[in-house]
Amino acid sequence: MKRFLKNNATLIALFALIIIMAILSQLKLGTYTVFLQSANLSNIILQVIEIGIMAVGMTMVILIAGIDLSVGSIMALSAVVSALLLKAGFGVVLTLLFTLSGVGILLGLWNGFWISKYKIPPFIITLGMMTIARGLAHFISNKTAIGVSNKTFNAIGGNYIGRGLSITILVLAFFAIIYLILNENKQKKKYKIDTNRYNTIGKIAALTAGISVAFYIFLGHEGIPISVVIFVTIILSGIFLLHHTKFGRRLYAIGGNEEAARLSGINIFKSKMIVFTIMTTLAALAGIISASRLGSASPNFGSLFELDAIAAVVIGGTSLTGGIGTIKGSIIGTFIIGILNNGLSLLGVSTEYQWMIKGLIIIMAVWFDVVNKRKKI
Amino acid sequence: MSKTILKMKDITKDFPGVRSLDNVSFSAVSGEVLALVGENGAGKSTLMKILSGAWPHNSFSGEILIKDTLHSFTSTKDAEQAGVAIIYQELNLIPELSIAENIFLDREFTTIAGKINWNKVYSETKILLKELHLDYLDPEEKVKELSIGKQQMVEIAKALSLNAHILVLDEPTSALTETETEDLFKIIKKLKTHNVCMIYISHKIDEIKKIADKIMVLRDGKLIGKTVKASSITTNKIISKMVGRDIKEMFPRHKIKRGGKTLEVKNLSIDHPVLKGKKRVKNVSFKAYKGEILGIAGLMGSGRSELACGIFGALDGDTTGKVFLNGKKIKIDSPQAAIENGIALLTEDRKTLGLIMGQSIIHNTTISSLETVSGRWIIDKLKENDIASTLIKKLKIKTSRLDDPIDSLSGGNQQKVVIGKWLNTNPDIFIMDEPTRGIDVGAKVEIYKLMHTLLKNGVTVIMISSDLQEIMEISDRILVMHEGRIVADLSKKQATAKKIMHYATGMEKTK
Ligand SMILES: Nc1ncnc2c1ncn2[C@@H]1O[C@H](COP(=O)(O)OP(=O)(O)OP(=O)(O)O)[C@@H](O)[C@H]1O
Ligand SMILES: [Mg+2]
Repeated sequence: MKRFLKNNATLIALFALIIIMAILSQLKLGTYTVFLQSANLSNIILQVIEIGIMAVGMTMVILIAGIDLSVGSIMALSAVVSALLLKAGFGVVLTLLFTLSGVGILLGLWNGFWISKYKIPPFIITLGMMTIARGLAHFISNKTAIGVSNKTFNAIGGNYIGRGLSITILVLAFFAIIYLILNENKQKKKYKIDTNRYNTIGKIAALTAGISVAFYIFLGHEGIPISVVIFVTIILSGIFLLHHTKFGRRLYAIGGNEEAARLSGINIFKSKMIVFTIMTTLAALAGIISASRLGSASPNFGSLFELDAIAAVVIGGTSLTGGIGTIKGSIIGTFIIGILNNGLSLLGVSTEYQWMIKGLIIIMAVWFDVVNKRKKI
Repeated sequence: MSKTILKMKDITKDFPGVRSLDNVSFSAVSGEVLALVGENGAGKSTLMKILSGAWPHNSFSGEILIKDTLHSFTSTKDAEQAGVAIIYQELNLIPELSIAENIFLDREFTTIAGKINWNKVYSETKILLKELHLDYLDPEEKVKELSIGKQQMVEIAKALSLNAHILVLDEPTSALTETETEDLFKIIKKLKTHNVCMIYISHKIDEIKKIADKIMVLRDGKLIGKTVKASSITTNKIISKMVGRDIKEMFPRHKIKRGGKTLEVKNLSIDHPVLKGKKRVKNVSFKAYKGEILGIAGLMGSGRSELACGIFGALDGDTTGKVFLNGKKIKIDSPQAAIENGIALLTEDRKTLGLIMGQSIIHNTTISSLETVSGRWIIDKLKENDIASTLIKKLKIKTSRLDDPIDSLSGGNQQKVVIGKWLNTNPDIFIMDEPTRGIDVGAKVEIYKLMHTLLKNGVTVIMISSDLQEIMEISDRILVMHEGRIVADLSKKQATAKKIMHYATGMEKTK
């Protein structure tokens, strides 16, 4: 039981936060709960997509004891570049390809190269890139927002997949996950590993609850937004990469003890290059989604988003010293931040208070992490 | 005039899934050395961590009485104040700080204005180092530049500087050479005359016979019999009390014929990483053969570990020379390349170089051999689990759960995990740097037998060891290093302790 509480502390914190917000908004806004309406919940999800996508990459970066401060600026640069390309008459596919590779991959390789080849602290390199990319975004956009009015492009961030298709996807997801759970148990039996029945039941219950909530949020509205499909795909790929591949395992090793990892035959250079490249590519994707949803691209996009992404990862239990952390935690952290932003705004709390509250929560999360770690010898 | 200074009563400590101490009671006397022996995972370090406050008083049951007063420590600082100092089994120095800073960490001498009096810190450190015959060490040198043996000596100096009444030494000599051990023993003898009570943990029984006044034995968390006088018990008796059975052969022999040449090193030189123009390995050439255990002896700092790291491609500094594998010249510029060529290196320092602390046992066992448990990308976790648990059984690693962090294992069991991790890579050349460090007598025999199995499968084993007896009994051939050079190549018949020491100390420079 204690173990359960400790392992799921952030998830419990998230639920507590949701309940508190629901009650507060009820008290303040009167008759019925605005906060819990499906339109608002759907809104929260749309608001956190950029930070959430970047938090997936940031988890990997922090897992190897790195940091990336450039992602907010890169997001802006990518938004501006894609808007300019569209304006110049490039097709959507070419625009996406060029932005993702030219801004995302290229700048990531640059960051990664200095960090892994010359062992320059990531803090410094990405701090530099943060200003460079921001300057570049302002330079090429002539310091103004650029309108984007390409139907296909705008659909990425603005459209929904129809309700029929949404239902099909959710139902399929439900059965697919049940199949995976049962299959895992079968495999475990084959290797004579104990399976815990309560564990299985718990998993299925959580799954059912999750899918029901998704039904409520999305079908009360117009269906699942396309950007949410992208978001979920990235989360799932991230989780898969970290927990089921050699690549992910190596990241944990590097973060836990880089020297021992090197002596175990891990190519540190390659791993770091890949991680920083994934990070900036995801930031570029976040920029594209922003530009597409808002129908315009401003060089001021994503300012301070790097801090929100880092905060989400840290609140989610990833250790800044590396080696410990999960994407699941970071996503929970993302939602904690998103709900705070949304709920506090709904309640009419002014931004200066919002900042202070957010700051305190980050400090508490880190404190919790430190205390938790100190107990073990 | 002997006086009981310490009593520990009915100590019981549980970890999830294991009772590591079960109702342990004993007492210790001022001016005496009490040896604490037992198998890996018997509970020795746990008992001492309780005494030193590392496990706070509410995490176990039982009483600690020092000079007949009851103590409940909540931290190691409390214990220090009560006069208890401990040298932990795993090194705890801060690599980035200097020797002096490490020794006086947290209690630097300050002037009235609160400024640290560095002159005093350094001069006190000099005095301490001198006592340990370490005059040649510079108090301002960073700890990370030191070999593990010297780091151990710094730990000892740190504990001595506390002027404790009770001093715990948890396997202090596992990384020391004979001479360093002798120096330590001189100090222990001096402390005895100052009426310090010492509790001494070691797996080296002959050492215990030499230095201890009394002996107590732990097995599976329980005391076996009473504390006995060291002079009244034979080595064999101690061992059978420890492991619960007799061990017939401490050093098993093998009858495997030496095969063809596998590894050949020609004119290997390795630059010192910091000091320009100085070399740590000088023009070393040797050959190793299939089905042979090649021992490398030498004093600490003679370049043995550097040689191993150089072959393994683990050094950043300039390495010149040629390495041939089965007659073919190979280029190894990274550990990754070495592993791909079938070379494994068991490093001497398990905590900083061998293991990833904080991560699970299972991940630590497969980290250098992920290919064996995965396809191109994806890890087959069940297969991984299977391989890891087979290994745990084979090496008799004492653990309750595979996904517990590696930190929860006792020191010797951690060492077994490192061995297992490299076994998993199925090497053709297995270089082992102090493989039996911290491993109990019974398990040592198992490891020697394991080496024989490897030989049978055509593996070349190269073993670096500071344990003179081990290297003489186990190796088929012994290279002796001195100041970065190989100064002797002795067959098993030629090798005597005297001869090895003779070459190792540089008395004779001819090959
Ligand atoms: N932090 C921990 N969490 C869980 N179990 C632990 C922890 N520390 C020790 N143990 C368990 O307690 C038992 C005793 O360990 P301990 O370190 O005291 O052994 P030891 O006698 O010092 O062995 P060695 O000779 O290998 O150093 C072992 O089974 C070990 O797995
Ligand atoms: Mg121990």
